Amino acid sequence: MAHAYTPGLKVSPKIRLTKKRILPLKGDVVVNVGDTVTSDTVVARTELPGKVTPINAANILGVPAPDLVEHVLKPEGSPIAKGEIYAVAKSFFGLFKTTLKAPEDCHLENISQITGKILLRGKPLPVEVTAYLEGKVTEVYPQEGVAVECWAAFTQGIFGIGGETHGILRMVCKSKDERLSPEKISPEHRGCVLVGGSIVTAAALKKALEHGVRAIVVGGFDDQDLRNFLGYDLGVAITGSENKGITLVVTEGFGEIPMADRTFELLKNHEGHKACVNGATQIRAGVIRPEVVIPRPESELKAGPEVTAGALIIGTPIRVIREPYFGRLGTVSLLPPELTPLESETKARVLKVKFADGIEAVVPRANVEILET
Amino acid sequence: MTQKPEDIKVIIATDCGSTTTKAILIQYDEEKGEYRQTYRGEAPTTVESPFEDVTKGVLNSISELSELSGRELLDENNMILKKSSPSEGADIYISTSSAGGGLQMMVAGVVRSMTAESAERAALGAGAIVMDVIASNDHRLPHEQIERIRQLRPDMILLSGGIDGGTKSHVVDLAELISAADPKPRLGIGFKLPVIYAGNRDAREEVSGTLEEKVDLVIVDNLRPVLEKENLGPARDKIHDMFMEHVMQQAPGYKKLMEWTDSPIMPTPGAVGAIIERVAQLYDLQVVGVDIGGATTDVFSVFVDPEDEKPVFNRTVSANLGMSYSISNILAEATLPNISRWVPFPIDERELRNQIKNKMIRPTTIPQTLHSLAVEQAIAREALRLAFVQHKSFATTLKGVQKQRTIADAFVQTGTEGTIVNMMNLDLLVGSGGVLSHAPRRNQSAMMMIDAFRPEGITRLAVDSIFMMPHLGVLSEVHPKAATEVFLKDCLVYIGTCIAPVGQIKESKDVMKYSIDLPQGRQEGMLRQGEMLLFPLGVGEKASAVFEPTGKADVGAGKGTRVETVVHGGVVGLILDGRGRPLMTVPDDKDARIQQMLSWLENLKVYNMDELKALGRA
Amino acid sequence: MQTSGYRQAFRILIIVMLWAATPAGSLGVEPEDAGTGLPVIPPMNLVAADTPNDNGNGITLRWDCPPGDDGSGAVISGYVVLRSENSREGYLETAVLGPGTAKYIDNGPAADPVTGEKIHFIRNKPYYYRVAARYASGYRAVSGASGPVQGRAQWFHDGKIPVLTATVLFFALVILYIQKARLQGSELYVRPIAGMKEIDNAIGRATEMGRPILYVLGLGSPEDIATIASYTILARVARKTAEYRTELIVPCNEPIVMTIAQETVRNAYMEAGHPDAYSDDMVFFVTSMQFAYVAAVNGLMLREKTATNCYFGKFYAESLLLSETGNIAGSIQVAGTDEVAQLPFFVTTCDYTLIGEELYAASAYLGRDPLLLGALKAQDFAKALVMILIVAGAVLMSFGIDWLLEIITVRM
Repeated sequence: MAHAYTPGLKVSPKIRLTKKRILPLKGDVVVNVGDTVTSDTVVARTELPGKVTPINAANILGVPAPDLVEHVLKPEGSPIAKGEIYAVAKSFFGLFKTTLKAPEDCHLENISQITGKILLRGKPLPVEVTAYLEGKVTEVYPQEGVAVECWAAFTQGIFGIGGETHGILRMVCKSKDERLSPEKISPEHRGCVLVGGSIVTAAALKKALEHGVRAIVVGGFDDQDLRNFLGYDLGVAITGSENKGITLVVTEGFGEIPMADRTFELLKNHEGHKACVNGATQIRAGVIRPEVVIPRPESELKAGPEVTAGALIIGTPIRVIREPYFGRLGTVSLLPPELTPLESETKARVLKVKFADGIEAVVPRANVEILET
Repeated sequence: MTQKPEDIKVIIATDCGSTTTKAILIQYDEEKGEYRQTYRGEAPTTVESPFEDVTKGVLNSISELSELSGRELLDENNMILKKSSPSEGADIYISTSSAGGGLQMMVAGVVRSMTAESAERAALGAGAIVMDVIASNDHRLPHEQIERIRQLRPDMILLSGGIDGGTKSHVVDLAELISAADPKPRLGIGFKLPVIYAGNRDAREEVSGTLEEKVDLVIVDNLRPVLEKENLGPARDKIHDMFMEHVMQQAPGYKKLMEWTDSPIMPTPGAVGAIIERVAQLYDLQVVGVDIGGATTDVFSVFVDPEDEKPVFNRTVSANLGMSYSISNILAEATLPNISRWVPFPIDERELRNQIKNKMIRPTTIPQTLHSLAVEQAIAREALRLAFVQHKSFATTLKGVQKQRTIADAFVQTGTEGTIVNMMNLDLLVGSGGVLSHAPRRNQSAMMMIDAFRPEGITRLAVDSIFMMPHLGVLSEVHPKAATEVFLKDCLVYIGTCIAPVGQIKESKDVMKYSIDLPQGRQEGMLRQGEMLLFPLGVGEKASAVFEPTGKADVGAGKGTRVETVVHGGVVGLILDGRGRPLMTVPDDKDARIQQMLSWLENLKVYNMDELKALGRA
Repeated sequence: MQTSGYRQAFRILIIVMLWAATPAGSLGVEPEDAGTGLPVIPPMNLVAADTPNDNGNGITLRWDCPPGDDGSGAVISGYVVLRSENSREGYLETAVLGPGTAKYIDNGPAADPVTGEKIHFIRNKPYYYRVAARYASGYRAVSGASGPVQGRAQWFHDGKIPVLTATVLFFALVILYIQKARLQGSELYVRPIAGMKEIDNAIGRATEMGRPILYVLGLGSPEDIATIASYTILARVARKTAEYRTELIVPCNEPIVMTIAQETVRNAYMEAGHPDAYSDDMVFFVTSMQFAYVAAVNGLMLREKTATNCYFGKFYAESLLLSETGNIAGSIQVAGTDEVAQLPFFVTTCDYTLIGEELYAASAYLGRDPLLLGALKAQDFAKALVMILIVAGAVLMSFGIDWLLEIITVRM
C-alpha cells in the first residue's frame, strides 16, 4: 500500500535534468542539437494567429447579406493595410458612398453571405520559448521545440505562485526557522532569488517586490497574506500565470513552518550561483510542483546519499502533514497493520511516530509524508 | 450484446477514476434468485506516466478482486476470462471512466436560456464537464468568444440553436465563430475536433459548409425542435459515441480497454445519472443524488415537471466545489461566516485558512482530531448547499413557451422561470463521495445532508456505500434488472427518514404533534421549533406514524393538515427536524450559536459530545 | 378650539338660564315693548383677535349676545360691527349682521358716512372694534372697545398639519428607499412583474424562431403617461433585440411618437454596442386613423409572422382586434395599459398583462435605477399606509370612535 502516501518532494543535490521546451503550436526551432544555451536563449518561436474582428459589413454598407460579396473589393485571404478601403457601397447613382476601412494591418479572413459579416484577422502575435535552464540542447523536435539538459541541484516546493524566472541565489536567513522579515531585504538583492526560513511576512514580500527581487523560496506562507497579495482568494491550486512581478516557492505549507533541513542545506551550498525558479503549481491528477533548479557543472555537484524509495518502515524519517502535529518531524517507531480508530472516530491505518524531542504519537498513515534522505 | 440477460451470472465492472480504479464483482445468487455485489478491489489508476496505460490499473484491481473472491478472473495472458463457470471467469465486463479529467465540452446555442441551456443540459446529462457556454446573447464580443474557444481546448463541442425552421443566421454565426477559432482538441495533436450539430434542421447545409473542413462535424436531430419540447436523446447518445471514438481513443490504453468491454465505456457521471434516472423511473420516485468528490460536486435529480407532469432528469457539475483539490474554493465562495455557523466551537480565521490551504496542497490527508473532522464536515455542508443552489437554478421548466390565459389568470400570472425542484415532493436523497460515504458515524452524513439540502416533508436518506453507482449505471444499459437490484440492496445504505415540517414558526412554539409506532413501543409528543429529535428505527424496519402539524406548518398535505403514513428506518433512524423551512436563522451571537448547534448535535448523536464540548471550552 | 368650546357652552348656559327664568309660555307671547321691559344691554366680552391661518386679511371678532337675543330678531334685530383706527373715536360701520350672530371675520371696507368713501381693511394696521346691538325698539347698545389688533399673515396653517405630516412622511420614505436602493443595489426587492420578466424570454423565443418582434406604442399622444412609460419599456426591448440581433418592428400612429420612438431605439442600439444593427426603417409611421392603423398592424403580424408582440401604452377599441390577431397567429404577447376598460381583453388574449399602474412600475423595475426604484418602493409603502388608514378609520367610525378622523381631517 505504499502508494497511499503523499510522496515527499524531490530534493536532490545532484541530478541530470532534462526539460522539454515546447511551443503551444507548431513553429520554428532556432537552435541545434549540442548548442549551449542560457536561461534567456530563445530556442523556438512561432506566431499565434492574430485576433479576429468581425465587422457587421452588410448593415454598415446597407446592402443585403447575399450581395455583400459584390461590394467587397478584395478576395478572401488577401492582406489589407491599415486605413485601406476594402468594401464600398454606392447609392443614389454613385453620389453617396459608404466605405469600410481596415482598422489595422490585417487579412480578410471570411465574407459571410448569410450573416453579412466580414471577419478580419489581425497581425499574428509572436510567441517565443526560452531555454529556461542553462545547459545543452540534447534533442530537437522539429517544429515543436527542444529538450535542454543540464546537471543541477534541484528541489521542489509544495506550492508556488508566478512563472519561470532566474537569478542569483542569496540566503537571507541564517537558519531554517528564521522568519524572512522586511529588514533582511536590501536594494542589492535586485534580480536575486532569496531564500528565507520559516515564513515570509507580507511586509517582506512587498519590500522584495519594490526592490526587484525575482523570486523568494521559503518554508511557509500565510494564506491571509496570499489573499491580500493576489487580491483574490485562490480557489484551486492551479498557479503559474499570476503576473505579480515575483515568483514565490513555498516548500512546506501554509503557516509558519521551518524549511526542511535538506532543502535549506542544499540551497545554502549553492549560494551565489544562478538559480532557475518556477512557481507553477497544479495539484490535480498530473501534479505539477514548483521548483528551484541550480544548474552547475557536473564536477561541482556532490551526490547525496542514496534516496530510499518511498517505503514506510520503522525508522523512516517522516513529517506529519495534518493537525494536531502539523509540520513536526520524526521517525516511524511502530507500524500496526490493523485499522485503528482515531480521535475523530475515523478508522484508519496508523503508525507511531517518535518526534525529535522523544515524544511518541499515533497518526494516520495518510497524514505523514516520507522525507527523502 | 449477444448474451441473453438470463445467461449473465457473473459481472465485472470497473470505474477508472482520476486516482483510483475500482472494480466490483456482481454475482447471481441462484438460491435467492437475485443479483448481489460480492467483492470489491481497487488499485491506482495508471493513465499518466510512468505507466501510460489504463489497463494496467484495471488488471491490478481485477486481480485484487480475484484474490479476494478466490475466483479466477484472469487467464495466463492477463486477459479477462469470459464465460463464467462456477469457479472462474465472468460473463461480461463493463467499465466507466473519468480519468484524465473526464469529458470536457463546450456548448453553443443561440439564446442562453433556451437552446444554449438545452445544449448544456444534454452535455451534462451525457456526463461531460461543460467548460463554457457560448450564446449569441452572452454579452461577449465575437472576438472574445473566439479567444475563449481557442483557450479552453475542449474535447468536443456541441452546437445547437434555432428551432426547426427557426433562425439560420444566428446558428451560422456561431458556426463561423467556431470556424474562426479553429480549435484543436485537448488530446491527440493532429486530430480534428469533434463538433456535434444539433440545431435548426434548415441550417444544416450552411453549418456543414462553414465547418466541414476544419472540424469533424456530425449532425444529429435538433435538440429543441420546437421551443415547447426538448429532444436531448440523440445529442446525448452522439456525445457518448464521440467520447468513445475520439476522446477515449487518444487516452493511453483506452483502445485496449474498449476492446475488452462488452458495452461502451461511459463517462463516470453519465453512468451515475443513468442509474439514478432508471431507478427513479422504475419505482416512480423523485430523487436527488449528490456525489461530492475531491475536485467537483455532481448533483443529479429526477423531478416531475409541474407543466406536463413527466419526470425530468437533470445533472449539474459544480466544477470547483470539492473536498480536497477545490476545498479552498468552497471557503472563497461560501465565505467564512457561512462555514463557521456549522462549527460547534469557536474558530480562528487565520488558522482555519491555513488549515484549508494545507488540505488543498496535500489532498489525501484525513482528519485525525474531532476538531478537524467537525470543520471538514462544516465545509462539506456549504459545498453541498452551494452545489444544490446551482442545481436548482438549472433544473427549470423550459423557457420561451407560449401560455394560454383566461380572465381568471389576471392576478396570478406566473413566469416560466420556476425551478422544478420541489423538495416537498422529494422521496429519496442519496449522498455519495468520501465525506458522506465514509463519515465515521452515519449520523454525521445524515446531519450534513439535512443541513445542506434541507429536505421538506418526509424524505428518505441514503448514502452510496462504496461508490458503485457508476458501475451500476453502465450495467443498467446492459442488464437493468441486475443493476437496479444491486442498487437497492447493496449500493444504498439507508440512513433513515427525515421528517421536516415546512413553515416559519416562532421560537420554541409548537410545530407538530407526532405519534410513531416504533417496534419498541409508541412514541408520542410535540416537536417544537428549533428542536431536532432522533428515534431509532433499524434498517428494513417500518413504523406507522401520524404527524399533526400546527396551523403554520406543513408536512406534505398542506398547512395544519394531518398526515398518516408509514416511515422507513435506517442505520440512524427517524429524524424529526423542527427547524422550519426555510431553515431558521442562526443566531449572530457566537455563544448562542454554539449552544444551539450543540443541542442539535447532541440529540442526533452526531459526535462524541464530551469531547466536542471540551473543544468549545478550550 | 377649546376656549371657543367653553364660550359656546357658556353661551348656551346663559341662554338656558334665561329661558328657565322666563315664565312658561312667555316665549310664545307677543314681545313686550323693548322700551318698557328689559334693560338694553350691549354685546358683552367682545374680543378682537387676528384670524389664524390666513394671509393677514382678516380679524376675527367674538362676543356674547345680550340675553334678549333669541335669534328671532324680536328683541334684537341685529348687530353692527364698528371699526376705528383709534380707540376713542372715528368708528365706522364695516358690517351689519343679523340677530343671533356672535362671530365675525372682518376684512371688508368700511364706508365713511360723510364722504361715502370706502376705507379698505389694511393688513398689519392696528384697529379697534366695537359691536353694537340694535334693538328692535330702536335702541342701539354699543359694547366696549377691543383692540388694538392687527391682521397678520401666518407662515403656518395649523389646520393642514395632516397634509404636512403625510408629505414629510412620504418624502422621507422616498429618500429612505432611494438610499436603500443605492446601498443594496439590485438586491432591493421589488415584486417581480411576471410580464416584464418574460419579455426577455419572449425576445429569446423570437430569436430562436428567427422571426421579428412587434412593438406597439398604443394610440396615445406623446405626452400621455402611458406612452411615456412605454418608451422606457421600448428602450429595454430594443436593447435586448440589439443584443440578440433580432428584427424589431415598431409601427406608430402618431408622427411625434414615431420620432421619439426612433430616438429611443437608436439610443438603445448604441447602448447595447450594436449601432450598426440599427436602421431607421425599424420605427415607422402608419396612419393616425384608429382602424386603418389596426388593419395595417394586423397585416404586419400575419405577413411577418411576428413571434412576439408587445403592446404598451394607451389602447381603446383596437386592443382586442390587435391582440386577438396576434393570438391566432401564435405569437407570444405581452401587454400593458392603464385603460381599465381594455384590460380584460388583454388578459384573455395575451400571455402576460401589466395591469394599470404596473405599467409605470415596469420602468422602475426594468431600469433598476435607485431613484426610480426608491420612489416606487416609497409609493407602494405609502399606498399600503393609506389602505390601512381607510380600513382602520372605517372600523373605528363604525364603533363611533372618531379620534382617528379628527387627527387626519384637514381644516381649511
